[in-house]
Amino acid sequence: MTQTNEAIRDAYRPVRPGFLQTLRDTAGEISTRRRLILYLVRADLKKRGADTVLGNVWWILDPLLTMLVYVLLISIILKTEIDAYPLFVFCAILPWKWFSSSVADAVTCITTRERIIKQVNFPKVVLPMAAATGGVASFTFGLIPLLAMLVLLYRDHVSVWVLALPAVALVQFVFTLAVALLAAAITVFYRDVGNVANHVLRIWFYLSPALYGAEQVADLTKSQPAIGTLYHLNPFATLFESYRDLIYVGQAPDWTALGLVLLASLALLVVAVLIFRRLEPAFAKVI
Amino acid sequence: MTDAIDVRVLGVRYNLRLTRKNTVRESFRNLARRRQGPGHFWALRDVSFRVPPGESLAVIGPNGAGKSTLLQVLAGILQPDEGAIQVNGRISSLLTLGAGFDAELSGRDNILLAGAFMGIPHGDMMARMPGIIEFADLGQFIDAPIKTYSSGMNARLGFSIATAVEPDVLLLDEVLGTGDATFRAKSQARVVELMKAARAIVLVTHDMSWAREFCNHAILLEGGNVVAAGEPDAVVRVHEERSEVRRAGGQPDRLPPIADSGLEPVAVTQGAAALTR
Repeated sequence: MTQTNEAIRDAYRPVRPGFLQTLRDTAGEISTRRRLILYLVRADLKKRGADTVLGNVWWILDPLLTMLVYVLLISIILKTEIDAYPLFVFCAILPWKWFSSSVADAVTCITTRERIIKQVNFPKVVLPMAAATGGVASFTFGLIPLLAMLVLLYRDHVSVWVLALPAVALVQFVFTLAVALLAAAITVFYRDVGNVANHVLRIWFYLSPALYGAEQVADLTKSQPAIGTLYHLNPFATLFESYRDLIYVGQAPDWTALGLVLLASLALLVVAVLIFRRLEPAFAKVI
Repeated sequence: MTDAIDVRVLGVRYNLRLTRKNTVRESFRNLARRRQGPGHFWALRDVSFRVPPGESLAVIGPNGAGKSTLLQVLAGILQPDEGAIQVNGRISSLLTLGAGFDAELSGRDNILLAGAFMGIPHGDMMARMPGIIEFADLGQFIDAPIKTYSSGMNARLGFSIATAVEPDVLLLDEVLGTGDATFRAKSQARVVELMKAARAIVLVTHDMSWAREFCNHAILLEGGNVVAAGEPDAVVRVHEERSEVRRAGGQPDRLPPIADSGLEPVAVTQGAAALTR
């Protein structure tokens, strides 16, 4: 009896799809469920604006207030010699808000949807996808105060390079999506990720050239090659400098560095998709 | 003719080390008599059955026998760890009452969101919107955020959405008792209507009269195995006898698992590839 059972079990052993098939399936799921992603993003935005007096105005105020904190601290109290510091720091705050809010959303996106995951069959990849996309909206809204600052206060910084912003944003999106997928999948098994994420994000921000520029750390990165290598391995070193080149300096970004970050992000995205898909069947069992 | 549902040597395994919740872990521990290897627990094992078109299957059994797990696998929420299943046609599970609701959104937005989660095309959902709103009978509240709803209104909207699309294969977990007496009568009539329209039904129930009345086959699950299969009357009788022993505080004799439920002999000639979903 048991022997025949074993034979029958072997005949129907489930087969896992291959590497390329997994990537193709995921792309297919994202494209067929794009409306679901849209609804999720929209629901998230609606929620953020709801119940506040100023509503959507907060999307514009939020990065401005963060900027104000750093301007007070670094420009006024510490008296930095960086010219036009508000614009300088805003170039980094805006993309960082997108990244950090996306990762924070991604960490909880699977675990907070326990009920629907256990009751409806849908591709879970839409959840971190929506988390990564949701940040794009706040980034886009943040461009309004950025452009206002450029036109009203820093007219001499304006250049045509501002139009190249979407190219840098695209690189950031690929990287953000990869991190979001990994964060979402791993949190299901180790809830501790949620607690660690906030601190990691904060340290990451301070170690990236956000409040300071590459010039300020040039001495350190040149004299200590190890630190220099680590510094340049951080994708946000390149991303922040690129944003700043386009907005603050008004020159072409380092396309080679940006291309390398894009390639590395694409590789990370492939790995993230494979890990996510490998863990996805267990979500409904574990949460 | 292809079967509406074809399940072969299905096995679903839970990894107890990864199941963090104590309550869940405890409920598994009660069941873990058939545990294989440390930290693993088979919620279902060697489950095989077929539901031909036009037939309905009742799944009965004591608590924790694996009935809900079976529905989750049929709905595609869980993947088989062993064996293969094939479901032909659009599946709808009435497991989904209000599951995807977002409290901040209006009833109308939630209808669209739930439809998108279930994978129903946007056009279909828009076409069914008036019917859903009418059946849920929410009046002006349909444009208010769900958080302002009473629990009854919530359940009514959930039920209306879940039953809006006629499925080919209907999965029912318990016969639903939602809302006040009027809505309960209305919703039961709707369930019966769906059951008549569906090509195949799998009904998990503790209400034996539903199993007898609406199903022409039944399987009895115990400890993740099919231990009895056949005519609903006969299977219900076996279950009731065994429940009687349990109620008296005893432990009924262990029934041998039936690898093939006897609807039709399972041919092993087909490869797994033919059966993957």
